[in-house]
Amino acid sequence: MSSLLFATPKELTGWLAKLAAGHRVLAPRQEGPAVVFRPQTAEQLAAADAEALLKRSTSSPKQAMLPQSETLVQFTSVKDAEDPSKLTTTLTVPEAAEPTVLFGCRPCDARGFVVLDRPYLEGPLKDPYYGARREATVIVTQACPKAFSTCFCNWVGSNPADSEGSDILFTVVDGGYALEAVTEKGAALLEGAGFAPADDKRQAVEEAHTAAAQGLAPSPDLAGAPAKIARRFTDEAFWTKETVKCLSCGACTYLCPTCQCFTITDEGSQLNGRRLRSWDSCMTPLFTLETSGHNSRAAKSARMRNRVSHKFSFYPERYSGYFSCVGCGRCVVSCPVSLDIRHMVTAAIEGIEAEAKPAATEAAPQPEAEAGKDKNAKGKPKKR
Amino acid sequence: MSVLKGKELRIVGFLCNWCSYGGADTAGTARATQPTDLRIIRVPCSGRVNPLFVLKALMNGADGVLVSGCHPRDCHYSAGNFYARRRLELLKEFLPVIGIDPRRFEYTWVSASEGPRWKSVVTNFTARVHELGPAPKWEDVPARYDMPEDLVNPIRPLGCGAHPSLPELKEAIKAALADGLEGVLGWKQGFDAIHAEPVFMTTPEEVDSLIWGPFNVQNLAVQLPLYKGRKIGVVVKGCDSKGVVELMAEELISRDDVKIFGMGCNGTVNVSRILAKLPEGARIDGCTCKGSKITVLSGGESYEMTMNEVAQDKCRICTKPNAVLSDVFCGTPTTEPEEPEDGRSPALRFLDSLSLEERMGFWKGQMERCIACHACRGACPMCVCRDHCVSDSRNPEWVTQEDTVQQKLFFQLIHAQHLAGRCTGCYECERACPMDIPVFALKQQFGRTIKKIFSYGAGLDPKGTPPLLTYKVDEPTIKEHDLA
Amino acid sequence: MKIGVFVCHCGSNIAATVDCAAVAKAALEYPDVVYAQDTMYTCSEPGQQSIVDAVKEHGLDGVVVASCSPRMHEPTFRRTVERAGLNRYMFEMANIREHVSWIGRDKEANTNKAAELVRLAVEKLRRNAPLYAKQFDVTKRVLVIGGGIAGIQAALDAAEGGIEVVMVERESTIGGKMAKLDKTFPTIDCSSCVLAPKMVDVAQNPNITLYAHSEVESISGFVGNFTVKIRKRATFVDWTKCTGCGTCTEKCPTKNVPDAFNENISFCRAINIPFPQAIPKKATINPDYCRKIKEGKCGVCAKVCPTGAIVYDMVDEIVEEKVGAIIAATGYDLADWKVIKEYGGGAYPDVITSLQYERMMSASGPTAGHIHRPSDGMEPKNIVFIQCVCSRDPALGRPYCSGFCCMYTAKQAIMTKDHLPDTEAFVFYMDIRAPGKMYDEFTRRAQEDYGVQYIRGRVSAIQPTIRPDGKVGYIVRGADTLLGKQVEVDADMVVLAVGVEASKGASHLAETLRISYDHFGFFVESHVKLRPVETNTAGVYLAGVCQGPKDIPASVAQGSAAAAKVMALFAKPKLENDPQISVVDIKRCVDCGKCIKVCPYQAIEEVELRGGIKKAHVIETVCQGCGVCTATCPQGAIQLSHFTDNQILAEVNALCLS
Repeated sequence: MSSLLFATPKELTGWLAKLAAGHRVLAPRQEGPAVVFRPQTAEQLAAADAEALLKRSTSSPKQAMLPQSETLVQFTSVKDAEDPSKLTTTLTVPEAAEPTVLFGCRPCDARGFVVLDRPYLEGPLKDPYYGARREATVIVTQACPKAFSTCFCNWVGSNPADSEGSDILFTVVDGGYALEAVTEKGAALLEGAGFAPADDKRQAVEEAHTAAAQGLAPSPDLAGAPAKIARRFTDEAFWTKETVKCLSCGACTYLCPTCQCFTITDEGSQLNGRRLRSWDSCMTPLFTLETSGHNSRAAKSARMRNRVSHKFSFYPERYSGYFSCVGCGRCVVSCPVSLDIRHMVTAAIEGIEAEAKPAATEAAPQPEAEAGKDKNAKGKPKKR
Repeated sequence: MSVLKGKELRIVGFLCNWCSYGGADTAGTARATQPTDLRIIRVPCSGRVNPLFVLKALMNGADGVLVSGCHPRDCHYSAGNFYARRRLELLKEFLPVIGIDPRRFEYTWVSASEGPRWKSVVTNFTARVHELGPAPKWEDVPARYDMPEDLVNPIRPLGCGAHPSLPELKEAIKAALADGLEGVLGWKQGFDAIHAEPVFMTTPEEVDSLIWGPFNVQNLAVQLPLYKGRKIGVVVKGCDSKGVVELMAEELISRDDVKIFGMGCNGTVNVSRILAKLPEGARIDGCTCKGSKITVLSGGESYEMTMNEVAQDKCRICTKPNAVLSDVFCGTPTTEPEEPEDGRSPALRFLDSLSLEERMGFWKGQMERCIACHACRGACPMCVCRDHCVSDSRNPEWVTQEDTVQQKLFFQLIHAQHLAGRCTGCYECERACPMDIPVFALKQQFGRTIKKIFSYGAGLDPKGTPPLLTYKVDEPTIKEHDLA
Repeated sequence: MKIGVFVCHCGSNIAATVDCAAVAKAALEYPDVVYAQDTMYTCSEPGQQSIVDAVKEHGLDGVVVASCSPRMHEPTFRRTVERAGLNRYMFEMANIREHVSWIGRDKEANTNKAAELVRLAVEKLRRNAPLYAKQFDVTKRVLVIGGGIAGIQAALDAAEGGIEVVMVERESTIGGKMAKLDKTFPTIDCSSCVLAPKMVDVAQNPNITLYAHSEVESISGFVGNFTVKIRKRATFVDWTKCTGCGTCTEKCPTKNVPDAFNENISFCRAINIPFPQAIPKKATINPDYCRKIKEGKCGVCAKVCPTGAIVYDMVDEIVEEKVGAIIAATGYDLADWKVIKEYGGGAYPDVITSLQYERMMSASGPTAGHIHRPSDGMEPKNIVFIQCVCSRDPALGRPYCSGFCCMYTAKQAIMTKDHLPDTEAFVFYMDIRAPGKMYDEFTRRAQEDYGVQYIRGRVSAIQPTIRPDGKVGYIVRGADTLLGKQVEVDADMVVLAVGVEASKGASHLAETLRISYDHFGFFVESHVKLRPVETNTAGVYLAGVCQGPKDIPASVAQGSAAAAKVMALFAKPKLENDPQISVVDIKRCVDCGKCIKVCPYQAIEEVELRGGIKKAHVIETVCQGCGVCTATCPQGAIQLSHFTDNQILAEVNALCLS
């Protein structure tokens, strides 16, 4: 366990301002009624009220690693002077990620990156764009002082002081902040910050963490949820009923720290253009629209089933039982019709047996996968 | 391609093939010397000119755009320019709200024989654009994020207490269900006491969960087209009923299929305003409403606030608290107030106080945070394209996937333009926006012009026709813009 | 795609102020352009051949010509690319003559502009698709609306050409205004002697179906396939039985019916045949006056009718006819001159219109050709003719010249002298407009041979006076602008040469026909000079004064021309549409119906596909390609071929983005 450091609000903003010299510093900023992560300059940070940098963001910090839209490659073509039908095309890949400090995440946000890491970095094919940004970014997380009524990180194996995915975790204490490096990257960033050691604050920190955790409503038993939800797959009536009010707007997926789907398009002209990767949403019918016009998820119920199942069934089955929902509650807060994923998950698992009965095997397509992974389904928090 | 630096500005012209393009030819045949800036795009008819083409050109940095067609009554296609006149007049009035000088856009009529007239149109318009100079670029305008939170005083008393006729309404719905209605759309309590959620009531038990009060924010009209052809009911506030009526006027739902249940509305809340009165992250343990006072219980504390403090902006200026059309209306109708003197949304009021360039900066600052989720579209009862929104399409490709301010704002312009004359002012776009971007101001900019020019309000007459889908041969309220 | 660009010098027309070689060179930098050259005259035979050769040599699949206006040579070059084996729509033009070289003096700016216009054409062409015309059957029948001389001529010519004609006439007889004339200029020959045989031909031609006392109720369909609903107004006489014997008219006790055929200067009976040569010569009951119909009493005509043709309870009947083309020949009405208070506004009985005077002079008219003034039957000694009443008068909102009044006034003055040699005729005129064959000679004859006194000037007032003999006289005051003084003429009678206006209901008919009409209700031809008979609605043609004031020879000529146009249209076994029309992408269409609402041609319908799914559908042969629907459809589901959203957006972006 590394040691605690203490910073006063002024020291904290001073440190961030100093970091801005060599880093892109992303921190929450109030814009109208919304709070968003923005690159902030040294001057802005030096002048900032530390409190203002601690607000919970309306949208997730996902775009620090996975921008809403990014250029994968740029192409320019030059015509052959002799034969104008011949083109010489040059491809340019955008510059590598710049060193970044992502300040002011909440534990759920930071854990979101761990969820994204698995599809983007695990396995034989790593995503170089995501990887480079992830590599270049130091994540400084604030332990939640308080749970919102839409928070449910405890459902998915986490808590308001979870350090998973963070490089530095800090906690609000009397007169300032207690910071602790979680990773070497975090420790390196804190080096030379000039913060005073503050191991005497340990108890205050623990108390703050406990208090925040107590503010959360108790979690239902989600053991076996992945298998149960998989077995709910064919229950069309259930999904139809649950999504009657859904507007298919997709706000939930764009706000989600772990929704990871993208689409690729080419923009520009034949002689000068770019290939873009931008966020996509499984809540829109276009997501599964095939060229033929056929759509395997034409109904919004099928699309909602995919979102819920991906978070609580498909992903855990693929990745050792981890849920891909981090319980931040943004999809609940911002849904125009107050759709609540917590309700859908509990309703989906209600009255469903985790183990497939022999007769029903055909209906549930992946009973084999379930057996080995159920024990991980609790998504237990990684304790250091 | 570029204009000649220092000599020309970028001016785009859309000319109808039959009159104005011919007029330009006639001017050429007469060797009528003109400035060289204008680039002409030939279209069959001024009615082919989607106002979004003009917006596209201006958003992409054109310094001026000119549309010219046949004189009214002379249209080769008999009515194309009548439609164009309405659309383009509205567009011209719209431009200032996004910070574009309306003098950069003009539309006029030139016949094939009017060579001299064409020459003076080009000469005068080019001179005007040169006088204005190069259009400000979105990249150069400083973004601004400020918007004063100034609450409009309600024009009628707002309240939140229990509605005495709710039991009567529930009985009526139960009776209708027993009578064969498939279901009725209404509200029940959502995940906490200050959130409501839509419910499609099919059983008496579900009807018992129906609530009526300040939290019934959602406009359920948005759901109706999904039930097209089925016999259902819907519970409406006054504002919602306008959506229902407009859907009927456009024959998107049938009057015979929908049973409308209404009660007098005393206003609804902006949940963000309630949350702002509580400490960050406060969990809602309960809520009581009495008279015009809302008391929220949280963490053992109770927080009091009045409707005047937390009501939605639309409720403050609402003149239609009762359903404009209903089959069952329970209780006494709420007294309808006179039209407010100033019905502008706070954002529009703020925009009106800014200079053109500041308005560009305003939208730049707002649209930067747009995550392009298009919840505004999903919540809009008049967005009937649903799964076929033009902004998701590559053919036509009006917007790209780039997350620039211009692209994201352009989607809002599409939405506003498509709603011109159809928007009932329900505010749902703005309420649904998770990033709290004041997008309704764009629709209201069209709305107030439509009221001014056509004395038309959407959603009031089930037999009405949105003004952009019709025309008058003589338009006494549209002044001709003579450039000649 | 491989595009070739051809930049035309047009001799020095373009090359003098545009560096054509530089434009061609710039074009080579544009996307998909693989070949570019500048040529002296691209439209010349060698110029066109160079396009054909280049297409073959370089495997081009699209061609841009930068030259004059597409309104000039687009059809020419479309044929050229077709000759080269390409679809004719894989072609675009950049107008660098009328829109560049002829209007700008700065060669640098012109060259840059020309290059940009080529870029626009290239960007559009890259998104063009081959289009193919649809063929469809034609109903080889023509509807002629109006049975005046123009309509009669058109009908007879078409019938002669073997085409079935449906003629609809609003009055109970054909003949129109010409039937009311006594004589015609410049020959002073008898009007009905010329007209009546033609009317008889109409009645007897087996190819002509005549609906008199009828009106066009509605028209649907499109060129080659119109469906016309005709309202046969009730005549209360069974025309299949009526022999036109006239007994009913003689015996009818209601004698106070203003005689419309005689311009209301006399009365007729409630059951009437307008004039002896009427076609069809059938009686019609005027229900506003008939006692039997109004009060249920009388029934004399039914009693005397030898064939039992009277049907008092007859109602209107709607009949339907299918035709492939329509000729509008609805003629004119006289303007309402009574708005001119200076001329008495209709209060002076002896101030009459030229057409009333015409009836008065007609041997078959109410006075049997004797000129008696209406107030007291006196034979007038001084007659004043006033020209340009309600014509060339911007103050009255009638700036146009009615064209033929100068001539008929001269004719009437001459005939006055023929009828009453001792009577003085004065003509107040603004200018004499006599541009026809033998016309000017005719007006000179009036002045020189007949001694008609022409006074150049307008009449400011007509003042009634009581003469010493107790008779009414009219002081006509005016200016003689040639002498530069005021003049007064003491007249017994004043004849007003009232200008013409489109016939009543013309604008309504234009809307039914979906053709344009001008501020005065005259129908608008397709091109003032080059397409004076066609309208902008395919298959609808114009003849006679409905298109604008003209005299009998011009009306007859236009009637024949319209018939010739119809025969040319029907000469083809099938018709082809212009394929630049709207197309619905049914995958995008949500059936919101907005396109159907705004289409000026009712060319879009709702169709039901499999499973009850409804979508919009464009009737290919009705769509005229205006694109109003495309600009309306919120989903972008209905696209106008050749002018799609993406094509126009590409042009906008080419200009504004790069």
